[in-house]
Amino acid sequence: MAGPLLNYKYRLPGRRPGAVPRRRLTERAEAVTRTPLTLVSAPAGFGKTTLLAEWLAGAATDGAALAWLSLDRRDNDPVLFWTYVVTALRAAAPGVGEATLQLLAACSSMENATLAVLLNEIEALPTTVVLGLDDYHVIDTPEIHEGIEFVLEHQPAQLHLILATRADPPLPLGQLRARGSLVEVRAADLRFTTGEATRYLNDCMELELSEENVGMLTERTEGWIAALQLAALSLQGRSDAGAFIAGFAGDDRFVVDYLVEEVLARQPDAVRDFLLRTSILDSLTGPLCDAVTGRDGGRAALIALERANLFLIPLDDRRQWYRYHHLFAEVLHAHLLDERPHEVAGLHLRASAWFDAHDDTVQAVSHALAGGDAGRAADLMELAMPRMRRERREADLARWMRELPDDVLRIRPVLAVAFVGALAQGSKFETVAERLDEVEARVRCADGTWPQQPPPHLIVVDRDNYRALPAHIWMYRAALALASGDPAGTIAHAREALALAPADDPLARSAAGALAGLASWSTGDLAGAHAAYTESVAGLTSAGFLADVLGCTITLGDIRRTQGRLSAAVRTYQRGLDLAASVGGGEPLRGTADMQVGLAGVLLERNDLTGALERLTISQQFGDRNGLPQNAYRWRVAMARLREAEGDLDEALRLLDEAQRVYVGDFAPDVQPVAAVRARLRIRRAELTQAQEWAGERQLNSEDEAVYLREYEHLTLARLLIARHRAEPDADGIEAVLALLNRLLAAAELGGRAASVLEIRMLQAAAHDAGGTSPAALAALHDAVTLAQPEGYLRLFLDEGPPMAGLLKALRKQPTAPAYLDRLIAAGSTIASLPQRLVAPLSERELEVLRLLGGDLGGPGIARQLSVSLNTVRTHTKNIYAKLGVTSRRDAVRQARALGLIPGGQRPG
Amino acid sequence: MRNPAELYEISVIGRLAPRWAAYFEGMTITALDDGTTVLHGPVADQSALHGLLRRLSDLGLPLVSVRPVAAGRPTDPS
Repeated sequence: MAGPLLNYKYRLPGRRPGAVPRRRLTERAEAVTRTPLTLVSAPAGFGKTTLLAEWLAGAATDGAALAWLSLDRRDNDPVLFWTYVVTALRAAAPGVGEATLQLLAACSSMENATLAVLLNEIEALPTTVVLGLDDYHVIDTPEIHEGIEFVLEHQPAQLHLILATRADPPLPLGQLRARGSLVEVRAADLRFTTGEATRYLNDCMELELSEENVGMLTERTEGWIAALQLAALSLQGRSDAGAFIAGFAGDDRFVVDYLVEEVLARQPDAVRDFLLRTSILDSLTGPLCDAVTGRDGGRAALIALERANLFLIPLDDRRQWYRYHHLFAEVLHAHLLDERPHEVAGLHLRASAWFDAHDDTVQAVSHALAGGDAGRAADLMELAMPRMRRERREADLARWMRELPDDVLRIRPVLAVAFVGALAQGSKFETVAERLDEVEARVRCADGTWPQQPPPHLIVVDRDNYRALPAHIWMYRAALALASGDPAGTIAHAREALALAPADDPLARSAAGALAGLASWSTGDLAGAHAAYTESVAGLTSAGFLADVLGCTITLGDIRRTQGRLSAAVRTYQRGLDLAASVGGGEPLRGTADMQVGLAGVLLERNDLTGALERLTISQQFGDRNGLPQNAYRWRVAMARLREAEGDLDEALRLLDEAQRVYVGDFAPDVQPVAAVRARLRIRRAELTQAQEWAGERQLNSEDEAVYLREYEHLTLARLLIARHRAEPDADGIEAVLALLNRLLAAAELGGRAASVLEIRMLQAAAHDAGGTSPAALAALHDAVTLAQPEGYLRLFLDEGPPMAGLLKALRKQPTAPAYLDRLIAAGSTIASLPQRLVAPLSERELEVLRLLGGDLGGPGIARQLSVSLNTVRTHTKNIYAKLGVTSRRDAVRQARALGLIPGGQRPG
Repeated sequence: MRNPAELYEISVIGRLAPRWAAYFEGMTITALDDGTTVLHGPVADQSALHGLLRRLSDLGLPLVSVRPVAAGRPTDPS
């Protein structure tokens, strides 16, 4: 990146030397750190940034953390915008926003859940945070305004937002005003009074003007600061100040026009020439100016301009990059266009070449377009596309698509398909089909074959990508089909892509394979999904895309679990961990944390609560840096299920609420929606009304068709109906549940989903039991227990509570009872003793103490280990005894082992 | 917008020099005796119009009026 990017965006504006102290405004700083939002709204050149600098300097002395972000038009992408905001916050308050950045890095769209995570992180900060967003008027993306509105609605008390803007933002300012949540500073407040103008012109600029002259200047400029500054510049070194002011006041030309002309007229030709030619640049640095002007000495010229106070603003401390004051630049540009129209295109093209040579394609493209060479712009775009898409620069790509003339794009098939890829990546599918058809029609030969070499009327710069083009076209058709809910089409198109992909393009092969896999998965064909994914993983591995391999591995593990193959799932996750560990560099690969969550899920299924907790703790430690975007919610769901198994239903509910907030979707089907997991917990808590509300919202009905995508929800509905029937028996109700379960069973058997079959058989037993038909219940349960044994399923039965425990015991009395029942009942009996503990769950700290009580350390040793006082340990111990219903350390340890709270107990099996 | 380009007449406070015609591509610039300036010319569509208004506001030129006019003749601003 050649530009002064990034760092200057976060640079707090310094107090301007020679700024006039304006107490009437600076004293409002205190209100800024008491109010959620401060709006500084006034046109250009009214001293907004200078005022903010004063405020922030004041807030800094009060110990507030100051975050600053200067926006520009390129920031109109929600993900990019919030990434900048979080980075600015982190510069001010290190450590904040870690989890948010992680989510942002992998998102192509912005979710309020991500902002909620950010706000939580800010809320945990000990200090006041002032976040200043300068030039907010450049933002015209509705999603960004909505994000700011969300922040304002959920704003933590210690966060204070300042927006400096030339136009009022589309935020509910009226409401904020009415609530007293808004401090406003507007143009009328910012205009210089005559007193301030006197201090500026005479004290700061030492112009020694008469009161009358100051009055005339203030009136003519209406207190507009930029104009006063220009006037002061024109007056410097003049002996005829009075005459100049009289001439200015008596003229009704546009103030800035008049004054800039005065300033320009007094510059030597070389300086004037430099100013006009470089006015095409948003930001200036010596070598760039040399390239544009075709002369040497750019850096010296910039330093001289800054010294002469010629509206040049440094963008960094080392005086490498500058920009002109906005108004000054516009007037210079108007002069350039008027005086040297024939030079303009050449200047832009030289700037474009310089930026291209310095790897800043975005600037190179925008100058090529401004210079009228769309063909050159398109060439630059085509070569930069792979990188731009990897970096998810979607806002830039969207602008490129808008700005590139149709006739230029039409003859560039590789660029056109790359744009389709960018659209698909952003889930903007409206024009995808049409664009792909068009490219295909243009490239194909008359006989329908695909030409080895691009036809002469087409332009291809990126030859490698041309070879893969047919495969890419079908791949995006597959993505389009998947997005429009057409799994059969997805699979057919993905197969086509696979057949066409060049052997040495593993990425195209893998993407197509994965798409086919996702489509199979969403129809419930798990064997097909597994096969397609396995092929993807092979391709990705050979191409060295290890992070993507890990992403697919998690999916493979999930598929194995749905197939009821827990041991195979463990092997899959373990392979993922081994792969992650085998990569050098010390940093664990992203996805490591997700593998641990997968393993915890299997351990939980087998009722190894200690093991599951261990995995989840490890995952949490890897956590933020090394999880894929979905891990945030997957971890919380797994932890909630663990807490539920331990009997802490409140904590489980809290974790699920959190999981819903941090949920992020992707292309993969959401086969286990958090809301449904939460509804199951509601049923477990006997809160049937809430569970019923969920079922209503999801429009679930026992008459529904059995489709895999809703299987988890339907199995939850079945539990709800069974629980309702137990509470209020109703013969028709249970018939409907049984019919639903029968349909689900047939579908699950067809899809080879053994875990679902097992769960459905167990629920059929519960339904028959609730309906009072004991023989049918026992037959179904016999089946379920037999299916559960090979892979060691326990939790499934235990989660059903006392009715299931009773039914299991009844089954054991049968002569043909499966041997596995003993293990199930033993695991259940420890749960049956839970009621004592259900009074109140153990806290994290109490669990820690409890674990140490299981060891050899005495009280003082435990206190040292935990760095707390002996008294604190005693308090914890007392609470633990009370919660476990015991009176001695030995009993506490025995009870804790029996409950699986600490290792070494009577583990099942 | 039904027509491909409509003619607009935009009036701002302050006299703009004719040189701004190149800056406001394709607009004719007429400074009037009352200290206002009228920009007159084709505007492609609403978003082009808003872009133009934004450039005027970025320059700090106070807006007096904006109106579509019949092709060919600027109306008398008085």
